[in-house]
Amino acid sequence: MTKDKMQDGVAVLLEHASFRYANSDFSAVKDVSLTIQKGEAVLLCGESGCGKTTLTRLINGLIPQYYEGEFSGDVRVCGLDVAKAELYETARIVGSVFQNPRSQFFCVDVTSEIAFGCENFGMPEETVRTRIAETADEIGIEDLLGENIFHLSGGQKQKVACASVAAVRPDVFVLDEPTSNLDVATIRRLAQILRHWKAQGKTIVIAEHRLGWLKDVCDRVVYLRDGEIAMDCAMGDFLQIPSEELAAMGLRTMTACKAKQTMPKNNMAGTIDIQNCRVAYGNGRPALKIDGLSLPKGDVIAVIGDNGAGKTTLARCICGLEKRSAGCVCYGGKRCKRRELLKTSYLVMQDVNHQLFCESVSDEVRLGMDEANEPLVDGTLAALNLTTLSDRHPMSLSGGQKQRVAVAAALLAGKQTLIFDEPTSGLDLRHMRETARLISHTRGKCTSIVVTHDSELILLCCTHVLHLEEGRMRAFYALDGEGRQKLEQYFRTNDKPNGKEEEQIGRKEPGRKEETVEFETTVCICGES
Amino acid sequence: MRSVLQASAKKRGLVLDPRTKLLLLVTVAVFVLGGAGGEALRWATPCLCAVSLALLITAGKYKTAAVCVAIYVLMDTLQRSFGGRTEGIVNFLLLASAGILTRFLPSIITGAYVVSTTTVSEFSAAMRRMHISERLVIPLSVMFRFFPTIGDEFSHINAAMRMRGVSLGGGNAGKMVEYRLVPLLFCSVKIGEELSAAALTRGLGADVKRTNVCEIGFHAQDVAVLILCIAPYVYLILNAVGVL
Repeated sequence: MTKDKMQDGVAVLLEHASFRYANSDFSAVKDVSLTIQKGEAVLLCGESGCGKTTLTRLINGLIPQYYEGEFSGDVRVCGLDVAKAELYETARIVGSVFQNPRSQFFCVDVTSEIAFGCENFGMPEETVRTRIAETADEIGIEDLLGENIFHLSGGQKQKVACASVAAVRPDVFVLDEPTSNLDVATIRRLAQILRHWKAQGKTIVIAEHRLGWLKDVCDRVVYLRDGEIAMDCAMGDFLQIPSEELAAMGLRTMTACKAKQTMPKNNMAGTIDIQNCRVAYGNGRPALKIDGLSLPKGDVIAVIGDNGAGKTTLARCICGLEKRSAGCVCYGGKRCKRRELLKTSYLVMQDVNHQLFCESVSDEVRLGMDEANEPLVDGTLAALNLTTLSDRHPMSLSGGQKQRVAVAAALLAGKQTLIFDEPTSGLDLRHMRETARLISHTRGKCTSIVVTHDSELILLCCTHVLHLEEGRMRAFYALDGEGRQKLEQYFRTNDKPNGKEEEQIGRKEPGRKEETVEFETTVCICGES
Repeated sequence: MRSVLQASAKKRGLVLDPRTKLLLLVTVAVFVLGGAGGEALRWATPCLCAVSLALLITAGKYKTAAVCVAIYVLMDTLQRSFGGRTEGIVNFLLLASAGILTRFLPSIITGAYVVSTTTVSEFSAAMRRMHISERLVIPLSVMFRFFPTIGDEFSHINAAMRMRGVSLGGGNAGKMVEYRLVPLLFCSVKIGEELSAAALTRGLGADVKRTNVCEIGFHAQDVAVLILCIAPYVYLILNAVGVL
């Protein structure tokens, strides 16, 4: 361990750090110098591709040890030269939480996962057991010990990820967009965990596009643009920035987009009816229980609700993917079989990579298309800005382009219902608006159902809101003036601090006034990776 | 595929040490599938089958057990009742399929029991107790971790294919395989990369001896199964040296 440059109280020290990924033409991070004091909580924000994620990888040593490319400069974490140190040496002092819950678990059950890090460092078995118990208690997941991680919800997985990192007791925590797929309530719990770490004197570096929840967690905001630090200020000053200016910086805000996307008119009549829909989990607990629901054809319907409220199950029912709900969806009063539903509807998945199969975009959109639709191909490609890409391989496109290809394919296949599963998770302002445009484009052509936690997206492109709670329909309303209030109500209610949990983390209740302010910033969501 | 070494720590019925399970698997393969010992060891086959089946039932895999027993009984009956009465190609097909299935089934049952009741950490703890090199244990446990992921990805891709109206039924079978494999490879490579990055940031491969909190060890039930497993080997050896 080199200690020559170690300064007392400095946790992370970057000096003129630059990095260019091996197969990229430009530097992801250019000549960045940054000093983070021990105990500080720093938020990294900026548009997609601004270098946030790269910066977190510089700190946890994955760059240059794991990701190949050209690296120069000096990175020290608690005195350790992480660019030269072995990854396992860095791992003792830096704990990392990643975005994708699917790919950050090494074990299958929660207990072994929490033990994993400690075991790697060869801690005595007794110590590891104590650590598991202590950490589970701290994070509040005792009830999950021994469970299969593959059966947990997204929020639970992220808590397990935090616990398994915390069990090693690192000095620095690095989080890379941990909230991409989380609902507002779960994000609150994550904020409590971070505050708890901060109270223990840990240093926290978090790259995020959703800003609001970090308002009273982080003390400092670093804004990156094109791989350089464009702004570095205290959280207090950052909160003073007007939302229009934040939007201009490419950061997501709520207030800046009160104006709705101009949407095509909906000339379709009739409804899609869902009747007597009953789906239960393996253990008999109802996953979805809807007696009667009529969705207007041709409109854009947002489906909201907490993690585990049955949103995905409903989407699968409408697509005909859910075996247990046969015959509960009716088009024009006629009960549809699963085979018919599979024909009439299409799910745009969260990971679009699962649904692109062909060698070129033009082949892709023609797969499963009726020959009679051939004259429509050029028009649809042009409308979705895909004309110039028609010879590219779909896998070589960017995320947003892939999404558009999937939608083009669905429209040309004559689908009547499109379902978007969390289409904007992990997107920054610009890309979110792009997706909103894409969704509003489908209005009047087919019925769109958008499963999302993104209030800004809903305000931009949806006409109706369906609110699910514990598998039941809580409310269904049009997004007019009154509807907007109801929607805001949902996000606000979810944002209220839960007294019991606050107590558990041992933090003072924020005052009433502060609570209101907090709402404004929680829905002000910010640009990203 | 999803259940391969994916047991959670709860509800696993009669708990056996992973090493006992491995020995049982090898023994069943050698004597039932491989037919070692010939006529002299006829008695061992039903014993080993019964034990494997009983274990599978204690693990709560009733459906798997029932299906296996049904297939076994059916094939055995077919072989006994029609084996002598048919001739030519029919006889050949009947004997071949019945013979293969009845020989393979016990091993499949044992295999199903082993993989559905062992967790990855138990597996690696057992490998370590047997002093098998980390170089082998780490890749193997990564592999087991990867099975459910591939299963997950595959079911997503399948759903997407069904919604596009492309299935194996019609059209070009080769294309259908390609359509599945391209996204599967793409997603698996990406997940694999993220998975190893995550594992490395958590100290995998550190230069110290790894510990394991899994409580594995031999109990009374292990002793019983071990004796049963060793018996046929002992018999075989004694037979070979001419004591029996």
